[in-house]
Parts: sequence; C-alpha cells; structure tokens
Amino acid sequence: MKSNIIKGLANALVSIVGASLIIFVISRLSGDPVALMLPIEAPKSAIDELRKSLGLDLPIWQQYLIFLSHAVRGDFGNSYRWQMPALQLVFERLPATIELAIAAFTFSVLLAVPLGVLSAVYRGSWIDHLGRIIAMLGQAVPSFWVGLVLILVFAVGLGWLPAFGADSFKHVILPAISLGWYPVAAQTRIIRSGMLEVLDSDYIRMGRAVGTPERLLIWKYAFRNALLPLVTIMGVYFAAMLSGAFVVETVFAWPGLGRTVVEAVFSRDYPVVQAGVLVTSIVFILSNFLVDLSYSLIDPRIRR
Amino acid sequence: MSVTSAPAPATLSDVKPFGMRFRLKGLPWIPLFILTLVLIGAIGGEDLAPQDPNGLNLAAAFKPPFWQAGGSLEHILGTDNLGRDVLSKIIVGARVSVIVSFYAIIFSGAIGTFLGIIAGYFGGWVDTVIVRVAEIKMSIPALALALILSATLDPGLTTVVIVIVFTYWTWYARIIRSEILSLKERDYVAFAKVAGCGPLTIFGRHLLPNIFNTLLALATLQVGQVIIFEASLSFLGLGIQPPDVSWGLMLADARQYITYAWWGITMPGIAIMLTCLSSNLVGDWLRDLLDPQRRQL
Amino acid sequence: MRGATPLFVAALALLLSGGPSQAQSSNDTLTVAFGAEGTTMDPARYSAGVDQYFISQMFEQLVRFDKDLKPVNWLAESWSIQGTADKPIIDVHLRPGVKFHNGDPMTAADFEFCFQRLKDAKVSRWTHLQVNVEQFEIVDDLHFRLHFSAPDADYIVGNLQLWAIPKKYFEQVGDEGFSKAPVGTGPWKFVSRSIKEDIKFEAFDDYWNKDARPKVKHLVAKIIPEDLTRVAAFKAGNVDWIDAVPLSAIEEIKKMPGVKTFTAISGNNLYVDFPSYQPNSPFNKEKVRQAVAQAVDMDAIIKSVLFGQGERYEQIGKGSTGYDPALKPYPFDPKAAKKLLAEAGYPNGFETPCYNLTTPREPNIKEYGEAVFAYLGAVGIRCKVQGLEYAAWINLGRRGRNGPPDMDGVLMWMWGQGLPGDPATPWGGHLHSFVAGKGWGSYSYTDDKKADEMVEKLKGVMDPEQRVGLIKEIAQYAHDNVLGGVTTYRPVITFAWREKVEFKPWPSANWRNFKEVGLKN
Repeated sequence: MKSNIIKGLANALVSIVGASLIIFVISRLSGDPVALMLPIEAPKSAIDELRKSLGLDLPIWQQYLIFLSHAVRGDFGNSYRWQMPALQLVFERLPATIELAIAAFTFSVLLAVPLGVLSAVYRGSWIDHLGRIIAMLGQAVPSFWVGLVLILVFAVGLGWLPAFGADSFKHVILPAISLGWYPVAAQTRIIRSGMLEVLDSDYIRMGRAVGTPERLLIWKYAFRNALLPLVTIMGVYFAAMLSGAFVVETVFAWPGLGRTVVEAVFSRDYPVVQAGVLVTSIVFILSNFLVDLSYSLIDPRIRR
Repeated sequence: MSVTSAPAPATLSDVKPFGMRFRLKGLPWIPLFILTLVLIGAIGGEDLAPQDPNGLNLAAAFKPPFWQAGGSLEHILGTDNLGRDVLSKIIVGARVSVIVSFYAIIFSGAIGTFLGIIAGYFGGWVDTVIVRVAEIKMSIPALALALILSATLDPGLTTVVIVIVFTYWTWYARIIRSEILSLKERDYVAFAKVAGCGPLTIFGRHLLPNIFNTLLALATLQVGQVIIFEASLSFLGLGIQPPDVSWGLMLADARQYITYAWWGITMPGIAIMLTCLSSNLVGDWLRDLLDPQRRQL
Repeated sequence: MRGATPLFVAALALLLSGGPSQAQSSNDTLTVAFGAEGTTMDPARYSAGVDQYFISQMFEQLVRFDKDLKPVNWLAESWSIQGTADKPIIDVHLRPGVKFHNGDPMTAADFEFCFQRLKDAKVSRWTHLQVNVEQFEIVDDLHFRLHFSAPDADYIVGNLQLWAIPKKYFEQVGDEGFSKAPVGTGPWKFVSRSIKEDIKFEAFDDYWNKDARPKVKHLVAKIIPEDLTRVAAFKAGNVDWIDAVPLSAIEEIKKMPGVKTFTAISGNNLYVDFPSYQPNSPFNKEKVRQAVAQAVDMDAIIKSVLFGQGERYEQIGKGSTGYDPALKPYPFDPKAAKKLLAEAGYPNGFETPCYNLTTPREPNIKEYGEAVFAYLGAVGIRCKVQGLEYAAWINLGRRGRNGPPDMDGVLMWMWGQGLPGDPATPWGGHLHSFVAGKGWGSYSYTDDKKADEMVEKLKGVMDPEQRVGLIKEIAQYAHDNVLGGVTTYRPVITFAWREKVEFKPWPSANWRNFKEVGLKN
C-alpha cells in the first residue's frame, strides 16, 4: 500500500516537472512581451535594457533552469503586467475557479443521477430516450454557447438571474450550468449501464421475489455498483472542466484563474501564464493521484 | 499468408472490416442527412451562399431573421453588425469546420495510432516514454496549452489544426495502445512472429485491420469534439482569424450585441449543435455496429 | 468531493453563504466603475494611459490642463524657460503650503527624487524622455532648475514630466511599501486595493486646492472590464458612475431618467498607415496615397459601425495643440480615387496585405478596420486581410525589430498622447523617418526629408506659442503630401452618472479624474 503511494507521488512529481517544461518552453516562444511593456516610442536601448533586466536575453535552457530553481521555492517571478508576485496573483484567483468547478460538478451530478437512474429503471421507455437526448445535447454544444444562450434567456430575456460577475450566489448558477453540462452525458451513460448490469442480475431478481422494497434495490445495490466507474470518470472530466472553465469564466466575467490566464496569454505575461497553467496542472495531477488512491481503497480487488 | 488458429472470431473486432454486418434498419437517417448538408456547404462555400459572407453593407446591419418584423427573405437568418448575411456566413463557415475536422482527425489519428501501436507492441522503454509524455501532456488543461501554442504560432487555420493534433493525439494513442496490448497476445500474432514476419507486416496485416473498426468509431466521435474545440479557440480570439469565417468566430463577434440581436448568437450555435449531435449519433451507431461490447469507448 | 458527503455539504454551505458583499452606496461614498485597470500606482512606473486612472487621483504634476483644456500651473506656482536657445533651463517655483497625504511638506527634493527615478531604467519606461536633462539643480525648498544639454520640446508637452513623489516617505517604506500604500499630494488618499476588483480612496482634508476639490468623503472604484456587466451594474444602481458606455447601449442610457452623460474624445487618434518609404511599394507614389485618402467613406463608417461615436479629424483634432479648423480631410470620392490609381500606373488596382487589430482597444475597432478595407477594395486596392491580436499587432508595427519581414501593406494604427493631445511626440514616432538607435520613427513608414527637418525643428522649440505655428505648418505639409498615413477618426467616449452625482470632468487620465465631484442628497 505504502509503496503504491510513494510510486504514485513520484509519478505525479515527474508529471509536474514535465508539464512545467512544456509550458515554459511553449510560452517563451509565444512572442516578445518586452515590446508590449514599453510605450511604442521607446528606443531600442530601452527595450534591450528591459529585456536584460527580466533575464529574457539568456538562452532558453538557462532561463528554464533559473525558473525551476526559483519555482521550487515558490517564486514564479513578478507578473510583467501587475508588478506583483505571479504566484500570489494565481492563488488569489484560484478559489473562484474552484468554487465554479465545485458548483458545476454539483450541477452535473444533480442532473446526471436522476437522468441515469430513471433511464436505467425505465429502460427502453420514452424517459430513457429523453434522458439520453438531454445528456447528448451536453456533448454537442460548446460550453460557452450554453452560457451565451442561458444569458440570453435568463438574464437578458427574463431578467431572473444576473449575467456577469461574482457578487452573490445567484451569480454562480448560470456559469455552473454552462460548465457542468458537458460531463452529464458520460455520467448518465455510466450510471445507466452500471445499474443495468446489476438490475438484470439474479441477485436483484431474488431480492424482488423476497419482497425487498424497489427503492432499496435501486439505490442500495444497483446505484452503488455505478458509483465506482462514476468516480473514475469524474477524474477525466475534472480536467475537461478545468479546461472549460477558461472559456466559461471569460463569457461570464467570472473572476477566476481561467480568465486570468487567458488575459495573461494575450499580454504575453509569462510569469502568470506559467504559474497559472502549472497550478492548474498540479491540481489536476494531484486530484488524479487522489482518485487512484481512493479507488484502490474502495475496491480491495485493486490493491496490489 | 497469415495463419489463424481460432475457428471462429472471439470478438467482433477480429472480423475484417468489410465483412461487417450492415444493418440498414438502424441507420441514423437524419444525422447522416445533416452531415451531408454540412459537407455540401463546405464544398459549395461562397458559390452556394446567397450573399458574399464578407460583403459589408452598413445600411443593412442588424436585420433580424425573415420571420421577425424588419426581416426579409433577402437575409433569411438576418445580418450581423456590419450587414453581412448570417446564412451565407454559416454556409461558408461549414468549410472551416469540415477542413479542421478532416485534417485534425487524419493527422492526430495517424500520429496517435502510430504511437499507440509502437507503444503497445514493443513495450519496454518505448512504451514507458510514450505513456509518460502522453500523461504529462494530458495533465495540462487542453485549452490552456492550445492558447499558448496558438499565441506562439500566429493564430490561423493551420495553427488551429496543429493545435488540435497536438491536443488530441493522446486520445487515439491511449485507446489504440490498449487494443494492441490485448491483440498482441493473440495466437495468430505469435504465429506470425514465428513465421518470420517483421513488425511492419504484423502491423499492416494483422494489427491494423483489427483496430480499424475502433479507429473509425473513434474518429467519428471526435468530429464533434474538434469542432467545439475550434469554436472555443476562435471565440477566445486565438483560432480562426478574419476574413476567414468560422462558427466560433461568429459567436465571438455577436457576443457584445446579445441584447440587440439574438440571432447572431443563436444561429451559429445551432449549426454547431446540429453538426456535433449528428456526428455523435453517427459515431454511436458505428460503435454499436463495430464494437457492441463497448470495451474501450 | 469524491463521494465524501460532509465535504460536499460544507462546500455547498460556503457557496450559499454568498460571495463578497455588495458595495454600499451611502451618502458619503461615491461608487464608480472603470472598464480597465492600471497596473501600477507609482507614477514613476507608469507605462500606459490606463495607469493614470489610479495615479491621477493621488498624484499631481507641476502643470496640467484644466476643464477647458487650457494649460494651467498646478504644483508649480510659476515657471519659465531661461538660459540660451542651445542650452535652455526650465526654472520652476513651487507652490508653498502643499502637503503630502502623510503630512510631509512638498519640496523641490521630492521632484528631484522623481527625476532620479524616471531616469532609472529599472523603474521607468520613459527614460528616453529624460536624456536631455543634464542636471537637476535645487535652489531652495521651493525653487529648482532643470538644465538641458539641448532644447527638448517633448519635455514641456508632457506636463513637464515630473510628479510630486514623497522622498522621505519612500525612503522609509521602500519600493514595495510605496507601491502597496502610495502617498501623493492629490485630492484622494489611498485606502486599499484589491487587484482586478476595486480600489478605495478617501478625500484628503489638507488638500492644497480649496476651489477644485472633492466634496464627498469616500471613493470606491470598481473594475468591471465587461461592457455589458458594467452597464448592468449601473442600471441596477450598484455603481453611480461608469466610463466607456458601450456604443450599442448609449442611446438607451441617455434615455434613462435621472441619468446624466458626458461625451468627449477619448484621447486616441486613429489612422491608416502604409509603407511609403519602400521604393517598390505602390504607396511610394503620392497619387496612390491620395487615392487611399479619398477611397474611404469615414462618415458612413462612423455613423454605422461606430454608432456615431467618432469624430473625424485631419492630422490634428479639435482641442489639440495646433488644431486648424481650415484643414479639412480629403473628400470621399471613389471615382477620383480610381482615376488617381490609374494615373499612378494601376488601372486595375493592385493587391496588398492589410493588417487589422482585432483586440478591442477602442470599441468596434476590428469592424472599423474591416469596413476601411472594404472601401479600399471597392476602388481596386484589394486587401489580403490579416487579423492580429494586440501583441502580434504591436510587434508587427514596430520598426527595427529583428524578426519577421517588415510591415508591407496597409496597417491600422493609432497614437495617443493624453488630452488634449499634442502631436509632436507622435510625429516623432510616425512622421519622422525611422532612424535606428536614435528613437526616431519607431513606428514610421514614411521617409521625407522635409518632414524630418520640420519635426526635428519642432523638438527644439520649447516656447508654447511658437510651437503652434510650426505645428500647423507640419500638419499642412503632411496633409498635402499624404505623409504619415491617412488620419481617420478619433473615438468618442461617453460617461454616465446618476443625477445625485455632481461630476465635473477634468481631462487627466482621459477624463477618469475625480478632482471635482460631490454627492447631492
């Protein structure tokens, strides 16, 4: 057990370092931030000076080593734009994104569980088909379009919910729905097939014959079986959600990390791009690690 | 000549692709029809479009669709803020979706499949390296990586394809790899090796035909994802650039006029939705056909 | 999260408890919203116009432009240009009795301190503006002199460059401490700031100017970059003053009861440039340039694409130094344009790359560019349009970079020099030819000897009145020969506030200045 944890952590570390290398190299190649930081009339000497003071004139491998040596100490440099530590900026914005991800996750589960259970229980009926269509729609539209349509209908048209910002609980509803719709299809499918596997079994038929209440059979036995694969797939979709958060945050002006990183890419603010994307990657890698860990805990058959 | 040991195929994927049972009854007619329309739009492009999609007509800005007051049959789906015809832009925008899907799937499929095959077949350090790299890449949020890559490579159609290939090859690699891992153990592969067939022959004659079905289903399912990905990139401003037309770009332009002109947001979105839904349904149907046990997908 | 119910419930509870509270709009707090945010609060570190949004509330300069766009003495009680024509001296007498927010008196040493920081490349982005000052002489606490090694009109144009930065306080708290808690002489004192969210100020009781000062105690500036959100916040009453009302909402806002608006030029000057310096380029021929000037119906573009929120101008706009109402733009005449092209040797027109900025630095700037290109196409200048986001666009337009090939077609560009806007420095950037290493023509696609001479001469004329005549000459010359591009329009910006706010617009920070503001009951 312990060796698994250590192995898992070691793998995670390698992934983190690898990710940092990829992010670093690609972002450094994305264009010259110095030209953006100075007024257009600035003479070449000023540009060269600034470039030197930021260490951008060194060969890229050297820049990476410097970056790495500082990063392990938690120093990702100062944002070129905001003149404050990049990591601090990232951590200030991260909670908002996590809040959004949790809200989206909640929504997706709230939608997927009834859809999946009903589809399984009433398999073949119109409920089943309707459930499948609703779920499929989630995978057929970009999350930001869902967001725009929701804004059109609920904010502009009906005026029930606010369109942008993050001042109150009402503000998180539309973004959460936009972000959380996508995984519903897969979740519904998994719940449905997981439950069907059990609902068809002799075990359940025996239970029915004996008189066990249907509700108990559905939830305690059938649904339980679907839980494990559901949890596994959430790991995969968590990454998709973190990714999707970038666009959804932009649409709803949600003050999270995703929007910050998008802005930073546009202004070639390397320290923030690196810090932001790396932090997101770390969150993802660690959550994967935790999923793997909990998986082996839940299912003793997996424990090696 | 290969020597098969088993008298009957154990699973459907051991059957050669063209022997698959063709069920006309379950054919998804409507989705196929929609996809055909998209294809026609892509091929026809400007010739098919009723107006020039980039034709500015400032006097005709913000005309609503024909069924609303102020609309006309001249602009069936209305116009945007510069008077450009929405229907024409949707038709021409189909081209981008088709091109991007086509090239992205071909290239990411090719690269991913190749890497998946050699990883699965050779195992050892080749496998470890490839799996590692894939894992690392997958741990970076796809859109973030795509954004940075786009900014580096100068946004545009080519860049979008490159970025999508970069993002999606791991999808193929992972699935193909596990297919290969299970196929590798089959007797006929062992026999082929004993018979002296080189790896290339084994790939071409024995492995590839058996993963073809999986590949086909995967590719069709990927169309929707790729279109949505391109739309997201264009929406953020780092995808397709004007004067090229893309559905995602239409959404980005129309966004600020959402209170003014609801059709600007709705029409391109419906186009995306119908295309993706159709390709997903066709992909599901293909998958049911080729891999009913849904082992990998 | 992973099926752990208690964690779930806790998270939900957190969610339901709501986010940060709404802004309170009490009688002594004015809540406003900006569409953009400055990146620094330290005047010596300022790099872009948007930085002034915060800086101008807390810091002041020696001179400034007042509500009527007239130059007035501010922290300087008086100043004059002395010395010789070749080695001028700016002699400044400071206003007595001015205090910093922390109570320290303002002295010449504070300006000297600012000067040193502006010269420091590790701090300032504008070191090149200080190169001609060879000595800062402190005569006494309220009197100092700037000794120039050569005449430099650009120094005068930028409100004499210097800011009152408290030397003693800065040395006490250090660079970081100062950027976290800045102290200046301005009417507003810094209270707190939450990056990307808001900034809070408090009126400075000991502010020196008793006539033009805020009459409300607290000022909260929220940052709401999304246009529609900002408007929604205004409509809902969360904020009482907003800047940059989006073009499509202006009509609606103006019609709202109890709302006042103010519309003025935003400080940006847009134009179309092309490589006239390249001998092989069609734009090298004057007739082709004149054709460009007559091909575009700017009035129609302003009306439709910009919802009327733009002002035409030729070389220099109204209110800027050297404005000449007699100098009018070329008329819109596509027939004449086609004829000119034929005369220049392009009877069937020609193809050219056209570069458009897609990031909305000004509202609808992308659509404006697309419209311009469409008009050019109609007379035969067929555009291969390329859209560029901001960073790529800046990199393309800048001359003398070691990189991809030079800009070789039509380029949509702009210059801004605050309000009212003096063209001298921008002309040095785009009318004067490009001279590597000297700072001339950093974004110039023109190469004309006479223009170079005139621009260089202008730099040496420090007397404000003499400059006006010379500026008019240059404008006329540039217009006649279509040099430095074709000027198109100046964006107009609209501000809106509730009736209870008494807001008098001052031009600093492009009108985002709360010098004189009050709250009625």
